[in-house]
Amino acid sequence: MSTASREFLRRAAEKSADLTHRETLRRVVDNCNTSMESGRTRFADWEAARQRCHEIKWEALNNLDRYLLEFEQRVKERGGIVFWAENSAEACRYVTDLATSRSVHKVVKSKSMVAEEIHLGPALEKVGIEDIETDLGEFIVQLRNEPPYHIVAPAMHLTRKDIAALFKEKLGDVDTDDPQELVAAARRALRRAFFSAEMGITGANFLVADAGMIALTTNEGNDRLCTSIPRIHVAIAGIEKVIPRLQDLALFWPVLATAGTGQPITCYNTLIGGPRQENELDGPEEFHVVLLDNGRSELLADAEQRDVLHCIRCGACLNACPVFRTVGGHTYGTTYQGPIGSVLTPHLRGLNEFQHLSYASSLCGACTDVCPVKIDLHHHLLENRRDAVRSADRPFTERVGFQIWRWTMQSARRFELLGWLARAAMRVAHGMRLEGTPLDPLGPWSKNHASPVGPKKSFRALWGRANGGN
Amino acid sequence: MAEIENASREQILARIRTALRQPAPRHESVQRKTIFAPVADALDRFQKECAINITECVVTPNLGASAAGVKDVLASIPPGDIFVQDSPELRRLAEKWPEGCSIQWSNEGAPKESSQATITACDALVAQTGSVLVSTACGGRGASVVAPVHIVVATIDQLMPDLDAALARVQERGIVSQNSLLCLITGSSRTADIEKILVMGAHGPRRLIVFLSLA
Repeated sequence: MSTASREFLRRAAEKSADLTHRETLRRVVDNCNTSMESGRTRFADWEAARQRCHEIKWEALNNLDRYLLEFEQRVKERGGIVFWAENSAEACRYVTDLATSRSVHKVVKSKSMVAEEIHLGPALEKVGIEDIETDLGEFIVQLRNEPPYHIVAPAMHLTRKDIAALFKEKLGDVDTDDPQELVAAARRALRRAFFSAEMGITGANFLVADAGMIALTTNEGNDRLCTSIPRIHVAIAGIEKVIPRLQDLALFWPVLATAGTGQPITCYNTLIGGPRQENELDGPEEFHVVLLDNGRSELLADAEQRDVLHCIRCGACLNACPVFRTVGGHTYGTTYQGPIGSVLTPHLRGLNEFQHLSYASSLCGACTDVCPVKIDLHHHLLENRRDAVRSADRPFTERVGFQIWRWTMQSARRFELLGWLARAAMRVAHGMRLEGTPLDPLGPWSKNHASPVGPKKSFRALWGRANGGN
Repeated sequence: MAEIENASREQILARIRTALRQPAPRHESVQRKTIFAPVADALDRFQKECAINITECVVTPNLGASAAGVKDVLASIPPGDIFVQDSPELRRLAEKWPEGCSIQWSNEGAPKESSQATITACDALVAQTGSVLVSTACGGRGASVVAPVHIVVATIDQLMPDLDAALARVQERGIVSQNSLLCLITGSSRTADIEKILVMGAHGPRRLIVFLSLA
């Protein structure tokens, strides 16, 4: 069992027993799901929207080289710089080198999951650059030294009382749990940051090939300030974020908003294609786009799971998932939580270490039903299980167990014999009160569940008697 | 700027090309259906959507009436700098504004953090979502986001039925190619990061006011 897997099980047990945490999570997630359901009614045909999104993303991913080159060409034409990074280390090095060579002391960051993925924050701090998250949720979890809890709502797990206590301690100038006042305090602190930072870092929700622009979506407008005031703007995006045409956003903007928060459209949908142009009044002197691979091209090579790269990071599958709702976001120990994280992480960080995530699912398919780009999430979890059995380390007992099972299932006599043995063993274990002890072969199950007592006769035997020996 | 060394570029592209040799399955395409119901009455829809997303929409008979409306808003907010996009139309309208207010025109530099309001034009309005589409030409990047109040002066010919039409308009008119930033703004800045409770004015304007003149 990998370290990540052991940690997952430990945290899952802890969090699912924490009823206060579950209540907070349930309330917020229910709220999201209700908003999303009513948001979908604004579409004449939500299913047609999902299908169209799938088709556009399919076209983009299956012509990825062409669209990336078109995007790069357009950005260059406006005086922007595009850098292609193989992995986290190369992407971080590019940003930190750029920052140090331009005498940057302070960076303001607009919410970016890719920046989390490559651990950009610690990399900047290592070279002595202050890094400030400006999305309110991210700002809160940064003050707590925690990773984001949810792709879209990073501080979903905290109550206003938690946040009030945090702000009182860290910001000092506020002592209330009124959300309005708390937001005002964060606004004051972050305004100072925006106007003193030399570099703004953002992610990108989309890379628009025909316009040569990145598209950013926020409700707070922090992306706008990050990209208007500091003198350098760096956008970091996974290579899969590309879409062919500006026109596609007429669909993707409402879909992302609806699937993410249930809004008809998010407040600020920003398109940026370069640094300040000659005829323009303000804006950064430099615009850099870092295109990150970090395992994505390998996932692209897996035709069966290529559509995992269609993900627009709306977070809908997290909200729909019964496992996420029970164990919460931090239990995953990954940048991307919930069903999409469980599918994606083994591809980005290794199947062996993260294969356990494929089992963190009831296979109910709620994630697949809710996905706005129609990613077949729960079947991909099954495929990852299959691949893990084929290639990664599975426990010795599991491998032997399945060999015995296969041998048994191939003959009616063997099936009968093994069934009799298993029933007898269950009754003996029950008689000796072994259930849930280390000696119980079904220990992991019976530790938390009441086991039925094994019956004396098999179903086959009972059926045979009832039907006159047939 | 000197060309940077980037060996990974070719490697990533090569891997993508190899990967794409194997085709990926796609969901069966169905008969193309209507995704959004068409917008019948654009003005009516725009006003309704503004009410939902908390944009203050004021429909006026002409630009003169819009100018008078702007004057009333300026009189109601705390005194301070008013940042205005430098355009011939807004220069004309400014003649109607109160004597005392200190106007900073966009050609004098980016808006100050202390600005009380910004006044700009826009590139399009979108009825479907009750949105305002602006570009850097509308007073620069900071104009629509730095001050606590953003006032937009628009005319009815800028009102597009839906996002599709609005994006087509800005692309056809060269607004996309001529501006380094465009933004579709729907309501004022907000957050629900604390217990999903909606709070207005997170980072950007607390109020977005659109004066839409019919002539």
